[in-house]
Amino acid sequence: MTVDPNAATQGFRPPDPASGPGAARYLVPALVAGAVAVGLGVYGNTHDPQGTAFNLAGFSSTSAVKSWLATAAIGFAVVQVVSALMLYGRLPGPGWSGTLHRWSGRIAFLLAVPVAVHCLYALGYQTYEPRVLWHSLLGCFFFGAFSAKMLLLRSERLPGWLLPVVGGLVLSVLTVVWLTSALWFFRTFGVTT
Amino acid sequence: MKRSGPLFTLLAGLLFALVMLSLNATTGTRGTSAGNDTSSDAVSAGPATASPTDPAAGPSGSPKGKPSASPGPSRTAVPNGDYAGRTDDDSSAIAITLRDGKAVAYFCDGRDQESWLKGDVEADGGMRLTGEKGEVLTGDLAGRRITGSVDMGERDYGFTADRAVKPSGLYRATANVRGAKLDGGWIVLQDGRQVGILRRDGKPSEAPRIDPATGAVTVDGKRLTARPVTP
Repeated sequence: MTVDPNAATQGFRPPDPASGPGAARYLVPALVAGAVAVGLGVYGNTHDPQGTAFNLAGFSSTSAVKSWLATAAIGFAVVQVVSALMLYGRLPGPGWSGTLHRWSGRIAFLLAVPVAVHCLYALGYQTYEPRVLWHSLLGCFFFGAFSAKMLLLRSERLPGWLLPVVGGLVLSVLTVVWLTSALWFFRTFGVTT
Repeated sequence: MKRSGPLFTLLAGLLFALVMLSLNATTGTRGTSAGNDTSSDAVSAGPATASPTDPAAGPSGSPKGKPSASPGPSRTAVPNGDYAGRTDDDSSAIAITLRDGKAVAYFCDGRDQESWLKGDVEADGGMRLTGEKGEVLTGDLAGRRITGSVDMGERDYGFTADRAVKPSGLYRATANVRGAKLDGGWIVLQDGRQVGILRRDGKPSEAPRIDPATGAVTVDGKRLTARPVTP
């Protein structure tokens, strides 16, 4: 497999992806994923943390808001696994399991976005202890992996194992990100709003 | 036939993120003011801007004027309180005092590294305090605890500070003794331990213990009184 050195420059929005060569089907999502993850990390590292950003009525603190949003996202991620197993015929499922998979994924993603915005805007990429380091690293990685998953969905004739593996990776990373933030918050401060 | 749904999902997320960022940048008053605010002198930078002095000149000048600019009604949402704790690596102590939406914090390792930091506390409990040498503390008040990190320049320290009641808290004493300028800062932790630095003409050393009940401390034969620090 030869890699076209010019491919990187046109990687973000290939003008004619339908007729692209085979390698581009993997190269484009991989490059976008790398750009998203590195871009978020660089922004979080260089941007001066602002300490706060937003709050929702009824919650005691921004951290509580974020923890509950993230927990809701994890809930929809569980729906993702179940509906994906239905799609692949590993579980009996209704005819609308495809719709369920698509929309639960969209909701989970859109729930995670404000959390990430606050993390990057208010707190930044931090490394002062292992929990924080892993959370920063994998938080950026998650959005890269998710972008790759979305772009891979647009390709046809992928190897059968690829989407389950990438999807599983996205879910695993999200779980670790949740464990190192929301679960830590609930254990430290109690399950509060 | 290409599926465009996933692309729309990504673009929707990107758009959502950008909208939130722009909201943060416009509504977060501190986001614009604190970044450029070079007046992080340890004393009294805040009140001058918080209480406009123009009302005296205002009533006669402009009839409709601005009757109540009220810059900080939302800041009162954060209760006053004292917080003290240690850094995650247990090397240093941190104390933070919140009063009327303002905060003063003291980072101290008990030997030679210390920093006084000041700033505002947002209604949601978030805070960004800055020190004279560019140190930055970001913290988040949730319940009876503040967590966050301090960027001391050379490295970052994560910390957790719990609600402290007197005599725990933050103390400072300044005096001139035989021509030497003394400046001491103390953090009295909840378990009674003390972490403090005393500077003699700017030269740091471990501070002698204060009597937490009265703040009394004897330095070079002279009796001083360390007082609770408020923003």
